[in-house]
Amino acid sequence: MAQARYAVFATRMALTIYKGKLKGAIKGHSLLKRKADALKIKFRKVLKDLMENKMALGGTMRDANFSLSTAKYSAGDFSESLKESVESASVRVRIQEENVAGVRLPVFKQQSEDIGSSMQLLGLGKGGQAIQKTRQSFLSALEVLVHLASLQTTFVAVDEALKVTNRRVNALEHVVKPKLENTVSYIVTELDEREREEFFRLKKIQEKKAKAIEAAEAQKNAESLVEAQLRLTGQFTNEASEEGASMSMGGDNDLLY
Amino acid sequence: MAGYGYLAGLISSLVPGSSMTFNIRDGYLEALARGFKGSLLTQNDYHNLMQCEKLDDMKLHLASTDYADFLQDAPYPLETSVIIEKCTERMAMEFKHVRNTSVEPLTTFLDYMQYSYMIDNTILLISGTMHNRPCDELLEKCHPLGMFEGMASLTVNTTVEDRYQWLMVDTPLAPYFKKCISEEKDLSELHIEIIRNTLYKTYLEDFYRHCKYMGNSTEEVMCEILKFEADRRAVTITINSFNTELTPDDRPALFCNFGNLVPHGLQLLAKATDDSNVRAALEFDNTWRKIYDNSGDGRDGSKTLEDLFFEEEVKLCKMAFEQQFHYGIFYAYFKLKEQEIRNIEWIAECIAQGKKDQIQRKFIPIF
Repeated sequence: MAQARYAVFATRMALTIYKGKLKGAIKGHSLLKRKADALKIKFRKVLKDLMENKMALGGTMRDANFSLSTAKYSAGDFSESLKESVESASVRVRIQEENVAGVRLPVFKQQSEDIGSSMQLLGLGKGGQAIQKTRQSFLSALEVLVHLASLQTTFVAVDEALKVTNRRVNALEHVVKPKLENTVSYIVTELDEREREEFFRLKKIQEKKAKAIEAAEAQKNAESLVEAQLRLTGQFTNEASEEGASMSMGGDNDLLY
Repeated sequence: MAGYGYLAGLISSLVPGSSMTFNIRDGYLEALARGFKGSLLTQNDYHNLMQCEKLDDMKLHLASTDYADFLQDAPYPLETSVIIEKCTERMAMEFKHVRNTSVEPLTTFLDYMQYSYMIDNTILLISGTMHNRPCDELLEKCHPLGMFEGMASLTVNTTVEDRYQWLMVDTPLAPYFKKCISEEKDLSELHIEIIRNTLYKTYLEDFYRHCKYMGNSTEEVMCEILKFEADRRAVTITINSFNTELTPDDRPALFCNFGNLVPHGLQLLAKATDDSNVRAALEFDNTWRKIYDNSGDGRDGSKTLEDLFFEEEVKLCKMAFEQQFHYGIFYAYFKLKEQEIRNIEWIAECIAQGKKDQIQRKFIPIF
């Protein structure tokens, strides 16, 4: 399959066209390869970050839950009052775009606003400090989560882009370029052959002409000999000498150069 | 001369809570309370519980204490919330029994004890109804000791006026609500936490007055405990209200008018804006100064202020059992029971989350 070539007439025009295509394919191949390398680097980096963060997340969540238990110890069960005191989301996530080697990757940025007044007064009578500490630890857990989510989406996007790019690189390397090369070499061989054929044809014609001239010369010599003999014998014919003269002098119509 | 002394002695003995006539009405219940006290978990029990690897082991160990039958029908696998629910149920059962077999004036005293839980429940119901939560969910979350008649009707009342009417008239907390709203502030304007704390302050002052009226040992023991409670709330509110919308001007409204820190300490606390001010305010009282100095921020094994408060409360409650013929032991016993349930919850959470080394941090041994 890799040995196929494009079906094309072997003309010089086609040769220039396909040479141009080949050049384009080579340039594209090297560019894509560079893109694939850049993506690979980003991929490895994201992978490493992802691993670290996932390991850290376990510990962070455990700490957050533990501080929740601590707060529950001091303040009793404040889950209901907490649920009631929520007004609007104090932590929001914005999506920004990052451009890596031409691939647009989403990045999540966390935006936090001040907590509403109702939350600040939670546990005023007892346990307030523990509740605020719990809030801090859960906030940091949330930060880790947002970061992790961002990394995860980046990972998936980079993975996809890397696959596509690698596919293109491989396609160029193993399918398109050989095909083009084959086509070019085929055209070149065809052209060469044609030249050779032409050459050979002309050579043959020249040979034939040379032979014809020789034959004519030989005949002419033979005739002059005969003529000489005839002259000696007193018979003289003009036609033979006229033919001989017109043969040796003047342009040969078959010879083009 | 001797006659007057005799008469005075006779009169003082007729006041509720006096030693001579105490056993007539409340002797059985005091004995019952002391019996309950004996069934509180000991150091040994706690030691066993702390060795457990999983919550089911805890259930096994608790089965040898008084909690046995309550944990029998707990679903498998056991969760900390289930354990706590069952323990609280048991405490509620004990309380109901004591209350049902009590006579005046012990009944009033026990009612006073229930008011604090009622305040929490009412606040829960109010805020839940404001956010349109279903009625049965809210009633489930209420503390069993704080249930009273007519609670469900709060969730049904939809208009704001009806709700106020109900609050100010039909509940046992009516007088406290009246005080709370007397400053012409609309209930919906006030923050729910501020309402809660104002109610609690009014309740504490009322309780203190009642104990003073009871006289004799009850007054001695209970007033000591209540003073500590008032001071503790003052300090906690002050510290928790730094950098919040509760300004130093509004703060004094939440402070009780009794306690060891009155009046100088409270004045300083009201104006405090950070920890050094609080320290200066506590300078006047030995106990408080020691407590504040010993507190850390909870990391590296130091105890937080809250932990030290709980410890002090436990100490005061234990001392209540030293005397006889007073109602303080009921209060003390139920506070100790609460602390025990908190201990169990803490141990259970630590085991469930795999942080057994942290148990010692917050655990307060009772006996």
